[in-house]
Amino acid sequence: MAGVSFKHVYKQYKSEPRPSVMDFNLEIEDGEFLVLVGPSGCGKTTTLRMLSGLEEISKGEIYIGDKFINYVSPKDRDIAMVFQNYALYPNLSVYENMALGLKLRKTAKHEVEARVKKAARILSIASLLEKKPSQLSGGQKQRVALGRAIVREPEVFLMDEPLSNLDAKLRAQTRAELIHLHQELRTTTVYVTHDQTEAMTMGSRIVVMKDGIIQQADTPKVIYGHPRNAFVAGFIGSPSMNFLEGSVVAEDGKYYFHNKRFRLEIPEKFNASLKSARLNKIILGIRPEHILTEPEAVSRSSNRISATIDITELMGSDTYVYLKLGDDMVISRVVESSTPFEAGDKLEIALQLEKAHLFDAGTELNVMNV
Amino acid sequence: MFEKLLLLVLGAVAAFLSLPIVFILNHAFKPFHELFLFPPTFLVRQPTLTNFYDLFLRSADSIVPFSRYLFNSIIVAAFTLTAVILSSSMAAYVLSKIRFGPKKIVMGGIMLALMFAPETVSIPRYLIISWLEINDTYFGHILPFIASPVAVFLIKQFIDQIPNDLLEAGKIDGASEFQVFIRIVAPLTMPALATVAIITFQGVWGDTQASTLFMQDETMKTLPYFVMSLTSGMANTVAGQGMAAAAGLLMFLPNLVLFLFAQKRIMETMVHSGVK
Repeated sequence: MAGVSFKHVYKQYKSEPRPSVMDFNLEIEDGEFLVLVGPSGCGKTTTLRMLSGLEEISKGEIYIGDKFINYVSPKDRDIAMVFQNYALYPNLSVYENMALGLKLRKTAKHEVEARVKKAARILSIASLLEKKPSQLSGGQKQRVALGRAIVREPEVFLMDEPLSNLDAKLRAQTRAELIHLHQELRTTTVYVTHDQTEAMTMGSRIVVMKDGIIQQADTPKVIYGHPRNAFVAGFIGSPSMNFLEGSVVAEDGKYYFHNKRFRLEIPEKFNASLKSARLNKIILGIRPEHILTEPEAVSRSSNRISATIDITELMGSDTYVYLKLGDDMVISRVVESSTPFEAGDKLEIALQLEKAHLFDAGTELNVMNV
Repeated sequence: MFEKLLLLVLGAVAAFLSLPIVFILNHAFKPFHELFLFPPTFLVRQPTLTNFYDLFLRSADSIVPFSRYLFNSIIVAAFTLTAVILSSSMAAYVLSKIRFGPKKIVMGGIMLALMFAPETVSIPRYLIISWLEINDTYFGHILPFIASPVAVFLIKQFIDQIPNDLLEAGKIDGASEFQVFIRIVAPLTMPALATVAIITFQGVWGDTQASTLFMQDETMKTLPYFVMSLTSGMANTVAGQGMAAAAGLLMFLPNLVLFLFAQKRIMETMVHSGVK
């Protein structure tokens, strides 16, 4: 096993005006489960493919362990990859699919058999070894693809959206199994996904990317609690963070966020960072669970706003309430409610501003970071 | 009701289309007097092996025995098949999956070559073969067939449908470019390869061009040339009819056998090239 390090890596396609990946710097520690997440076209897959050797590196250096691998061919990088569409060899049986990589590396026959059988047992696909990929269900194919990767016992696992072709239930189940597998094998894993839920639940560290640039790289908890900019804040979390545009004014040593419809007192913890921020244009970001609707809690808060219920979505234990604040729309996540929500009703809500984030509207950076 | 009607019509068409096969099978076994019956008959009444006897044994005392032509044909067909399948599939793989500069120009050239009938290029072929000084060699038979734009085109269309992920998975699994081709691409391209094998075999097995134009030495000529000479004037036309009928069957049989073996694969290619 080994860590991976990216040093100022760029990818520039000839046909495109701007680089697909820009100045990618990252140290991945040995045994880490790193998730690259971002919207499509953000360069996450390109980054993974550069690490795998399927894509050339335009500029910069990549190391696996201490080995400089820019010019090493994929087969000599000691990596294994799981593809989105599984990429199982349709003409070979499950056993042969898993064994091919070992055979190509001239592993002794008895060892190939032992390793394939062991991997099959771990993934509980031992009964499928004689079958052809076309006879398998999506979930089984996924396991075989994983099996093909783990028999190789590589330094690094690369996974390119491996769960996106599975249905929702199977995806959740396989997600848990992948976490389990990683705990067992402790192999360094780089996992690409566009699904923030996967990123949050699986990653020991998350790298959020946009337009080829790393937006933030940190643990799920930090990314969720302290997003570096408005993009990260909006991308991570479901339903996503609510954004309200306005400006900040200072009065009597206190700061107030205000826009056309309301004026809210900003808690003291922001004071220090607001002193140096540009106050005229600020975005207030607040997560749905920090918008309160319970009358009792609302009455205790000083930051009350009246809103109109637009629609509600019952998600089981939670209810998402879409609230209109004039032209703005915010979503509140309500776990339990004493009063039923009816579309069109007026409602007093409270914003828990001590848990909110303030972003500079120009740079979109979190003012707490500046 | 409609399905029954369809079955009836298709059955009738199939029966009509199989008449030449019935004829060729029967004709070879007809005794001399039946060969010239008028009106001609499809079915043989008194089957005999005389025609084959004449073909194999009587022609043995001519300058070049029948077996020599047959031997030449088998050698040429075997080498041509191997060479065409190897070169075309490798070319098709490169054209389909590997990025390189003048790919479009090469593909354009192949498309252009598809439009030429073999007759139109026989003079340049002759010039090339005499320039290479491979007249009167087996290579002179084989070389014109190796450049097979149809085969390259057909196989390329097939390889185009293999997802790139499969090849990349192979490379990460530790396969070299050639191993990817042999282990992953070739098995998946089997239907197209079978089709190419049949098309090429039919072409080379029935070809008289090389024997007529490039081979001056009688011992280097192939079976179809011999059959042609039996029926067209060079031998005694009346006496040669029986031998010609037997040789005709021998010309036809390998095609039939190869087709029956590869039938399933060929149907797959037809389906693939039609519907994506």
